Amino acid sequence: MEGDIELDIWHGDWGLPTVEPKCLAVLTYCKFSGVPVIVRKTGNPLKSPSGELPVLRHGNEIQGTTEDILNYLREHQWGCDNKLSNIQCADTIAFCSLLEEKLLPAILHLWWIDGKNYIDLTRPGFAKASPFPLNFILPGNMRRKARLRIYSKNGENVTDGEVDLRIYKDAKQCLNLLSKKLGNAPFFFGDRPSSFDAFVFGYLAPIMKAPLSNNQLQSHLLACPNLTHFCKRILKDYFPNDIYENEKKKENTKKQMSGLAEDNPNKTKNMILAGIFAITAMVGYAFAIGLIQIELSDKESEEEENPELHKSQPETDKHHENQQTYEQFEPLFEEPGGEE
Amino acid sequence: MSSWVVESVQAEIGASVPWPDDVALYQPYEVEQILLPDSANCLSVKTFLHMCGLNFNLELRVNAEEMSPSGKVPFIKVGAFLISELDPIIAFVNTKGFHISKHLSDTQQSEMRAYMALVENVLVNAELYLSWCHEDVYYEITKPRYSSCYPWPINLILPLKKFAEIKSRLSSIGWYNKSFEDVCEEINTCCQALSERLGNQAYFFGDKPTELDALVFGHLFTLITTDLPVTKFAEVIQKYENLVDFCDKIEDTYFKKKNLKA
Repeated sequence: MEGDIELDIWHGDWGLPTVEPKCLAVLTYCKFSGVPVIVRKTGNPLKSPSGELPVLRHGNEIQGTTEDILNYLREHQWGCDNKLSNIQCADTIAFCSLLEEKLLPAILHLWWIDGKNYIDLTRPGFAKASPFPLNFILPGNMRRKARLRIYSKNGENVTDGEVDLRIYKDAKQCLNLLSKKLGNAPFFFGDRPSSFDAFVFGYLAPIMKAPLSNNQLQSHLLACPNLTHFCKRILKDYFPNDIYENEKKKENTKKQMSGLAEDNPNKTKNMILAGIFAITAMVGYAFAIGLIQIELSDKESEEEENPELHKSQPETDKHHENQQTYEQFEPLFEEPGGEE
Repeated sequence: MSSWVVESVQAEIGASVPWPDDVALYQPYEVEQILLPDSANCLSVKTFLHMCGLNFNLELRVNAEEMSPSGKVPFIKVGAFLISELDPIIAFVNTKGFHISKHLSDTQQSEMRAYMALVENVLVNAELYLSWCHEDVYYEITKPRYSSCYPWPINLILPLKKFAEIKSRLSSIGWYNKSFEDVCEEINTCCQALSERLGNQAYFFGDKPTELDALVFGHLFTLITTDLPVTKFAEVIQKYENLVDFCDKIEDTYFKKKNLKA
């Protein structure tokens, strides 16, 4: 195989490489089969030919749907299903449609239709991951698709509430069936992972890890210990980096929480700066309104008055001097008269 | 009241009442009206009831679809209950104490469910695709038959309404944009899986019939025997000899015998 194989998937969180079930399934399949993929986390599915993620790019070939990607990888001899017997291959196909038919509707409902989960987690998560104008459109679009997928199968006489009850019931039954099928084996078909293991992990791991506020499937899943062990083991064996990153992230958030007190000096500094800024702005405004003119006119009037004062003072002095000289001279004239 | 809501009530009341004699199975008219997907579903349910050894009277109604609690045919009427579609009917019959898959192990039970999902996922959608999205079949078969029982203005409107419904259902799973060859390929994969699983056995799980056998027979037999302008699907299925033999055998055991008796 020539060229790099690139796989575009949704963002990851909660210790998972990606939060979207199908992307996670494809990525897991690649890890199982040892495909040297370059993973790109993106939030822009418009570049995909089908308008959905995951997308696989290899040279000029672009595969836009999960099925196409798996078929493409199989054609190029990248597959973890090669070691399966014919009957096991048949079983894989059958169990994949079991997931599609019984488990997927409930998972879509849990993520997209359930109001609380959608508003608290799904919509903000996907909006944050996608670029600017898309973040307003994309979550609603994906929700509409999920709604169509869940409810279009039923006739008119059936209400949405009844469908909800049924899909959750089906999903719980499906989890029971999976748990029975897995038993104590490490993987569903013998000792080696298959594409079906990738799908089960892709669907179940997000339910197990996500902090959904409404998660009836999680409690049911936790009641099947072999399935939870199965997910945890795959996560540990094939995605150790993501677990590490998640722990690091958790530590960071903890540090941030404890570091809030140390941020206080910064806060006061900011407050002081803001105060200074406000005061300068107000003073500036006051100047602009006319304070400057008033002050200027004061100075001018002072300057205008002062020279008069300076000029008049010498005059008066002279006047006084004249008077004094007069006074000095007067007695000279009077004295002789007085003597007479 | 819908069949799903009734289920929990059935578990409590249903178990104590035995299978009555006046159970009726409602479906549209076979010759003039019924469509390929409905026909396959009806045949599956009938086969299942025969396998359980349960009696029922076949009731043909023009408006069976509107009578059904979930809007889908067939449905059965047992005492006060109406139950439609195969899965709820199986669950109901089980509460009456008739289990035809009791002998299976846990793993086999889940395998059986998986193959049933495969048939529902592939064959049912392929039948819908063929009847409503293939132009020749739609204009020659589906439209005249679906509108046959309605008077003038609505016989033009209702097929369109139904078509819109089927279209949104198929496009939500990405089947609407598939080409006819893609659908044939899907059927081929499905039949290959079923054929592998069946091998040389009489039934899918040993020598006793299960729900899966009823479901597979209903769909494959309908696809092989229905006379359509397009025979590609039948050709694909007929490549798998063991599946064809399986259909013949079930037909012999459960339908020819009954006819002879009658």
